[in-house]
Parts: sequence; C-alpha cells; structure tokens
Amino acid sequence: MKAMRLTQLATLALLATLGGAATAAAQSKTFTISWWGYNGEKMNANIIEPFKKICGCEIVFETGNNADRLNKLKLRDGKGVDVIYLSDSFSQLGVEQGLFQEIDPAKIPNLSEIYELGRAPQGKYGPAYTIGRVGLVYDSAKVNPPITSWNDLWREDLKSSVSLPGITTTAGPMVVMQAGKHAGVDAYDDADKAFEAVEALKPNVVKNYNTGSELVNLISTGEVRVALAQDFTLASMQAAVKTMTWAKLSDGDIATLNTVNIPKGSENVDLAYKFIDFILSKDVQQKEAEQGVDAPINTKVELTPEQAKIWTYGAEQVSSLSRIDYAKMNEAKTDWIDRWNEVFGQ
Amino acid sequence: MPTRVHPVLGAFAALVFLFLLAPLVIIVGASLSDTTFLTFPPQGLSLRWFSNIFQVEAFRRTAITSLQVAFLGTALSLLIGIPAAYALNRYRVELPRWLSTLFVLPILVPEIVFGFSLLKSITIGLGLPVYPSLILGHALLVLPYSVRVVGASLASFDFSVEEAARSLGCPPVKTFMTVVLPNIRAGVIAAFILAFITSINDVSVSVFLTGPGISTLPIQILAHMEQFFDPTIASVSVLLMLVTVGVMAVVEATLGLTFLTK
Amino acid sequence: MNKLARWGLTMPATIAVVVLLVIPVLLTIATTFGEAKGPFSTYAAFFNSGFRRAVLYRTIKVALITTAISLVIGFITAYVIAQMPGRLKSIAIIAAVFPLLTGVVVRSFAWLIILGKNGIINDTLLSTGLITEPLSMLYTEGSVIVAMVYLFVPLMILTLTGVLEGIPRDLIEASASLGAKPVPTFLQVILPLATPGLIVGAVLVFTGSFTSYATPQLLGGEKQMMMGTFLYQRAMVTFDWVGASTIAAIMVVITIAVVTIMSRIARRLNPMAV
Repeated sequence: MKAMRLTQLATLALLATLGGAATAAAQSKTFTISWWGYNGEKMNANIIEPFKKICGCEIVFETGNNADRLNKLKLRDGKGVDVIYLSDSFSQLGVEQGLFQEIDPAKIPNLSEIYELGRAPQGKYGPAYTIGRVGLVYDSAKVNPPITSWNDLWREDLKSSVSLPGITTTAGPMVVMQAGKHAGVDAYDDADKAFEAVEALKPNVVKNYNTGSELVNLISTGEVRVALAQDFTLASMQAAVKTMTWAKLSDGDIATLNTVNIPKGSENVDLAYKFIDFILSKDVQQKEAEQGVDAPINTKVELTPEQAKIWTYGAEQVSSLSRIDYAKMNEAKTDWIDRWNEVFGQ
Repeated sequence: MPTRVHPVLGAFAALVFLFLLAPLVIIVGASLSDTTFLTFPPQGLSLRWFSNIFQVEAFRRTAITSLQVAFLGTALSLLIGIPAAYALNRYRVELPRWLSTLFVLPILVPEIVFGFSLLKSITIGLGLPVYPSLILGHALLVLPYSVRVVGASLASFDFSVEEAARSLGCPPVKTFMTVVLPNIRAGVIAAFILAFITSINDVSVSVFLTGPGISTLPIQILAHMEQFFDPTIASVSVLLMLVTVGVMAVVEATLGLTFLTK
Repeated sequence: MNKLARWGLTMPATIAVVVLLVIPVLLTIATTFGEAKGPFSTYAAFFNSGFRRAVLYRTIKVALITTAISLVIGFITAYVIAQMPGRLKSIAIIAAVFPLLTGVVVRSFAWLIILGKNGIINDTLLSTGLITEPLSMLYTEGSVIVAMVYLFVPLMILTLTGVLEGIPRDLIEASASLGAKPVPTFLQVILPLATPGLIVGAVLVFTGSFTSYATPQLLGGEKQMMMGTFLYQRAMVTFDWVGASTIAAIMVVITIAVVTIMSRIARRLNPMAV
C-alpha cells in the first residue's frame, strides 16, 4: 500500500545518505580551515588548489561568520580546526580567551614582506593577511556640502539620513570611539561623554545595520544616504547608487585587519605555518587583489591605479590609518553595548 | 458539496491572500533582476542568479545537505511524534498533562540556546559526529509540529471507528495504518510541510550543529551575504518555493490524494 | 490497551526530548545559578534594569498582538479555504505556505520595498496627494508586527485547515436543519470543535514570535529590541553565555506560563481540546 511505498523510499534514502556520509572520510591527511565561506571559487583557484599540491593533503572547511566559528572553537576547547580566519576584533577575543597558539615569526618568512602593522597586530599571535578601512560613505548627489570629517556625521542637514553599524559589528565600537573624539574625550576614559555624543547623533540615524547586505539594501532603496561602513561594501553600494562616494576624511580612516591564527588544538601545526606563509606570499596576494577578493598587505604587490581604487593600498594610505587598541576595546565592549542599547533601544 | 461562504468573509480571505502574495511578487521580481544588488522592479531580466546557485559549489553541496537533513529530520520526528500524538489523544485521561507540554519544549526554548546546549552536551560531551547531531537536532526542532499539528487532527478523530475495527479482529498496527492514519492525513501532511520548511530554513540551531565539511544552505547563503549583496538570496527563495511545489507533487503521487479533500 | 503500550508509544519522543533537549538546556541554564554574586543574581540584574524590563514587556506585547491578529486572520482564511472545491483548495494552501519559504533577508527587503520611504505605499499615497511627506513606517513596533503576522498567518492557516477539515459537514448541516442561524452555528458548533487547532496555532505563533530573532532584527532594528535579538547579542558578541542563558530561562518560563493559560482557556471552550 502507498504508505508502505513511502516508507520504503524513506529507508532507501536514509541508507543512501548515511552511506554517502560514511565514505566521505578522507584517506590522506586532512587540513581544516575555518573561514567565512564566500568567494569559494576564487579561494579555491588561488589558494586551495595550489596549497593542496604543496602539502599533499585534503582540505576541509568550517564556514560561518566570526561569532559562530569562534563560539564553536571555544566550545571545542580550541580543537577541530587547524587555522582560523577572523576579523581583528574577534581574533582579539580569541587571544584573550586563550584559544590560539603563539606564533613563531621565524616560521613565516613572508612576514618580512608585509606592512609592519600586520605582522603581529595582537601580540605574539597571528598576522593580518589583508587590510581594510572603516570610513564614511555618502551619496554625493544628495549630500551637499560633501563630507570631509567624522564630525560631519552630526550635521543638522543629515537628519534621518544616516545608518550606523550596530554595536555588535566590527565597525560598531568605532562609532563610539569617534563620538568620543567628537566630544573631545577618549571614549575608553570617559564613556559618559562619548555616549552623550552618540545620543546627539540619534536624530540623524534611520536604522543601524548589522550586515553588509542590510546596508546595501538601505542605500539602494534610498532609506539612507550616509553611512559608516567598511571599504569592501563600497563596490556593491556603487552598483546600486552610482553616486556613492567614499569620503576623504581629514581626520583619517580607521584600519581593520583580518587575521589568521593557529588554534591551540590544531593537529597540523606545521601545515598551518606553511599555509599562513603561503597566503602572505606576493603571488597569492597579487592574485587576490587583482581579482577583487582581498586588499593586499604584502608590500611587494603592484596594482594599477584602476585596480588599487577599491582597496586600501600603498604605503601612504596605510600609514594614514588610525589603529584600534583591541585589548582596550574588548574590555570596554560589554559596558558600551549596554549603553548603546540604552541610547538606541528606547 | 462546499457550503456557501458569506461574501464578506470571501473578500476578506482574498485580501489576506493579496497580503501574503504581494511580497512574493517582489521577491520573484528581484530574483530576475540583472543587477548585482536587490532591486524592484527588476532592471533587466536574467536568470543568472538562479544559475549562480548551481554553479557555486558551496551552494550545491549545502543544498543537498539541507535537503537530506530536512527529509531525515522530518521523517524521524514524524516517526516518533505520530505515536506520541496518538497516545496523547487516545489515552488523554490516563497520561499526565505535562507530557503534552514536554513535546512542545523545542519551540519554547530559544533556538540558539538549544543549538548551543546540544552542541555542548551531546556533540562534544558525548562525542557524537556532526552529521547525526545535525539530524537529531533538526528532528527535535520540528517535533512540536509532528506532535501538536497531528494531535489537533486526532482530536477530531472518532476513536470508536478504530475500536470497531479492532473488535472485528483487525490487529493494532494494521488498524492504525488503515483506519487512523488515512483519517488524519490532513494533519500529517500539514505537519510534514511545516516541519520540512522549518528545517530547510533553519539557521539558529544549525549554526552550532554544523562543522568542518558540513554546512547547510541557509548558513552558506548568509555567509555569502556577508560579502555579496546580490539577488542570489532572492533566487534561493524562489527555488525553495519551486521545491515545495515539487515536494507536494511527490506527496500527492505517493499518497494519492488531492491534498486535503475527502 | 495496557499501560506498557500506552507509555511505549510516547517513549521514543519522550526520551528524545529529555536527552537531547531538557538535560542539555538545563545544564546550560544551571550555569546562571553559579555566579559569584549569588544564585539569582543574574536574574535580579535583569529585572533591575529598566531597559531589560522594557525589552521583555515589548516582546510580550508584540507576541500577543501578533498571535491575536494571526488567529483572526488565519481562522477566517482557513475557514474560507475549507469550503473551497478540491483543486482550488490545494492551490490555495500551497500559496498560503509560500511566505514561509522566503528567507528573512529577502522578506525584509520586500517589506522595505513596500513600507520604505521610497516604497510602494508611500509612492502611491504621495502621488494621490493624500500625504505630502513620506510616512516613516519602518523600524517601528508596527512594522515588526506586520512582518511577524506575515510569517505566522501561513502557520495558522495550515494548522487550522487540518482541523477544520475534520469537522464533519453533517454536524453543520444538522445544526442548520435544526434552525440555528449561521452565527450561532459558528459559535456553538464550529468554534468549539476548532479549538484544538486554535490552541495549537496560538501556541506555535506566540512562542514563535516571542522567541523570534531575525524578523525583529531586520525590521525593528535596535529601536525595537526584543528578547530574541537581545539574547543573540549577549551570546554571539560578548560571548556572555551566562547572560544569554538568563534571558533564555526567563523566556522559557514566560512562554510556558502563557501556553498554560491558553490551554486553560481552551479547555473551557472544549474539554477535549488539549
């Protein structure tokens, strides 16, 4: 009868999938990488396939966003993956929670070729493999006069036009820092005054965003015309609104670094070192930059002005960036999140 | 013979359908747009965001995983949920009240707490491999649908029919399959649909139960969205709608019914 | 049937829930009682904060309103669907289910298109001259409720259609033939019989909307923080699992309380209900 048929189908399907899952176990050495999961094709072509030849190993991924993967790593007590990609604010958390191994710079020769700020950005731990920046973007067709300073965020004519990154995103706490500067204080020392400035920003804010896609949606539908954003979102925003412009800030953009680290439970430490060295090499960095994947941090990479436009590139630009002290920021974070909630949550 | 419906009610229902379907029109439109960002009305028509799903290996792989997990998880939850629903209804008087609340617990607990706890205690604590943990997690996640929705259908089932069959000598299991089950078809199907869809779309529980080499489609899409803000996500939704129609068609073919009609 | 068989039927499900859900979650929640400041310190901290209380209140309010609206809309629609001829009915149900298949990101995009400053509604109202300035409809409690109702009406419809199908036509006809007008028939025959479905639906919708994360996040934003978004913030950003578990424990207690109340009310209407 028909229910029987369905049951038979179900049993077959069950056996098939379980069988499939079982044979998936790798025969040779397996190298596990934890990363975000996008740009898979390019990552595969530029990094994975070449590295497979170097190491003669199988490569498996754990994908997800920063928070998910770090959480899981913590629950597994630092085991399960051999190398982990994280944005700097999250790798700082990982460092503080003792999840990573200290890095021996001697095992990564290519470190000498990358910008200094990327070599050991968080103490003796993993280096940065790409450099980005956080700044202001605005629709030049709808914002006049153009934005030239962080202070412009508080402008009267920008009422109900701004979107800020949520406090839980990478760029979120930077809002607080800049608010502090606007109020003339160091946000770490005087959170009260800094948050007064954040409160003053409220009338200009339409909605805070938590993901790049949210921001692009807000911009493309015209809900906002100014935002505090990371540079990698610019291209997508410009595709939607051609007049979106990256503001030339007199007080400078803020650097963001994405890092690679070796978890303390890594089972393939030597391979991990090889891998890190590999992704910092000029060849890999060059390809990744040219193909629009990641900004190069290797100083020997050469890009045409056209290619360099979308990246943070060149010694001059790199040195103009201000840096975040992540140790201090993580310490203040919980307090800042609560205060942020109080400001925006009611 | 369907009874006549008061025109006001009919008009109201029509408005509701408009409400439900209007955003879908927008989503379908956006999925066809030949732009690298979500926009409506679509600017230029293209199927490239659909082909993108099949071309990106990560999407292909995780789509299959998601379908497998949804199917197995739902099947498992129905397997244990239908008997439970049956018992809760048939032996309502003898079984304790709190038992029925027990089976609804998966919905009461916030998903990420559930996923986190499961990962910590079961996957890591007991050393269970990732794939079975994922299936178990999903089965449990959708158990409330299997128990409650089927249970609601059972509540209006007249058990005397079953007793009659039994008293005529029909063995218990066969009675269940031939007398009870067909009459609660509507509930089982509704439960299956809700469970399957919930599983396919789930992110919060899956996030913790995925691991190296194993991931689900919604998670992969979200990862994609961190960097690319293109209409792929709209085309995935449209694809899911098509898959649902497909699943319904299969259900109709194997269980041989025109959905819920008697 | 003897006691063994009776319990045996529920055993697999019971074991599954206890082993895979109850124990792990209790273990997680147990951590909230181990704080240095005392076993209930985390809960005291929660209820002492005006902001947190406001979040809780808002979440309960939004969930209740969503449930009420979904119940009414869902019931009427399910009733109409139940009266439809075969093929049309199948199509109607499939159509009603589609909203569930849309990912939350595209759904919020769609609502952005509809309710946004440059959205369809504002464009129409502006062009007909009914308003001069675009209405700000997004990121309010209202937009969260609308988006949640959108998500949960299909759930309600699906649950109720199953139940309404089970109400024998003869009963309704009998009631009519005995002289009862449509409204009393509805109130005294259909409604009580549909109560099991109404309760199941109400429970699913209330708990779903109460614990919801993605919809309030994208359509409410920080101005409309709810328990789900707050929990996520705690767990995923500050890695404060003790804080997150506290929120979770409070949420579980409240949902159980509300569900119990709903079941009690249902039992009044139909003793066979739960």
